[in-house]
Amino acid sequence: MTRSRKVALVAAAVLAIAGAIAIVVGRHDEPVAEPPRTAPPGPPFSAPATRSGTDVLTTGRLLPTSEPTRVRIPALHVDEAVIGLGQNPDGSMQVPTDAHTVGWYTKAPTPGSLGPAVLAGHVNYRGADGTFARLAMLRPGDRIMVARQDGVTATFAVNRLDRYPKDQFPADAVYGAIDHAGLRLITCGGDFDDRSGHYLDNIVAYASLVTADR
Amino acid sequence: MRIRRTLLAVPAAAALLLATPTAALADESVHVKLLELNNSGASGNATLTATSGGDLRISIRSTGLVPNSPHAQHLHGSTTGMDFHCPDMSADTNGNGYVSTEEGMPAYGDIFVSLTTKGDTSKASGLAVDRMPTADPEGNLRYDRTIAGADLPPGTIEHLKDLHIVEHGVDANDNDKYDLAGLGESTLAKSAGLSGIPEEATDPALCGMVSGAAAGSVPVGGVATGDGSTRDEATVWYGAGGLALLAALGIVVVTRRRSYVLNRVQR
Repeated sequence: MTRSRKVALVAAAVLAIAGAIAIVVGRHDEPVAEPPRTAPPGPPFSAPATRSGTDVLTTGRLLPTSEPTRVRIPALHVDEAVIGLGQNPDGSMQVPTDAHTVGWYTKAPTPGSLGPAVLAGHVNYRGADGTFARLAMLRPGDRIMVARQDGVTATFAVNRLDRYPKDQFPADAVYGAIDHAGLRLITCGGDFDDRSGHYLDNIVAYASLVTADR
Repeated sequence: MRIRRTLLAVPAAAALLLATPTAALADESVHVKLLELNNSGASGNATLTATSGGDLRISIRSTGLVPNSPHAQHLHGSTTGMDFHCPDMSADTNGNGYVSTEEGMPAYGDIFVSLTTKGDTSKASGLAVDRMPTADPEGNLRYDRTIAGADLPPGTIEHLKDLHIVEHGVDANDNDKYDLAGLGESTLAKSAGLSGIPEEATDPALCGMVSGAAAGSVPVGGVATGDGSTRDEATVWYGAGGLALLAALGIVVVTRRRSYVLNRVQR
């Protein structure tokens, strides 16, 4: 075998390996499969009034109010700090100003107490994959741990994932009254609108409190 | 409340300096289902909303109450962790068929806030029927008031989910009004120095228990959690990978062909 031929074959091998690696990386970076768009639900079910007495109208364990500090999602290899998010002047929810931090919407219950706690994170932001880039890969039963200021870690289990057009965002389902300690994780998904610079849809993971540990 | 705000002020200021979105006080809406007491046949719903300013917005809608009559209403309970709940008929210790306010108190706690239509909201206004809401001729009652944070007992907002709404006023003898012929004179009013008040006016008709909670302020529309900046990366990697594989294939083909040609020449 001639020397030049050897060099050429080595170059070919290197290119082939690099190509294979690039395709593997591409596969990894490919947007995750998302749940189908869900029709926004109707008005929430309201149970008929039962006899008064010592019966409790809420379900499951409830924790006192305490703000979240950190969120961990083992299934997604997520372990990030949590900051507070309010509302923008136009009434929309503020979002974190970096790809990694997760935001807790402060005008809703704290995680683990009665009602829907809301955490939002980017799918991608300023050239980096966001903490919630693979949120759509969550499956029912996956655990989400939220550490709180009072030292208690609230562990939630995913109930379901939905995808909604942002212009038909189901405020009641996400922010409305619920009879248990719930958690909603929100990120973006669906098609991207190049003109507005925004995704058309939101992906929402619904979860409920299962355990609390100090 | 004040201590809590001071404690929050430092991290809040730090957050401002870091130009991250600012954290406000938790702002939530507690939903209360009003269930009948004393077989009043009444029912209702209420929401207690803690506003970001530290105030408490109360909204109550009840039906089936004694018409054209004032209904004393209060937040009962405490902020010291007592496990209060709504009483059932077993609380009727004197056996007259009605759970009186005094008989109910061990279950739902003392008056914490008086839900008057105007003026004072302390326990002292508990029997101020002239400032209590009145049911319309159909027995419907609507009540909306925002009580300033400064007028609330300490810890009210933090313990909203531990408090109970109680609405008073029943009609034992079914004549659409409070009268002494129904259940006699109110022992509660009498012990407060008011004589001649019918027991019907002070016996509880509805007791509210927390049934759920919601966001205190609902954001408009969807959430802008992505700028699409990495969504084309997969395509770029696929493209580069494909090109590299093609180039490798090209080199192999060219070298093999060349060696084939050389072999023929050598032969």
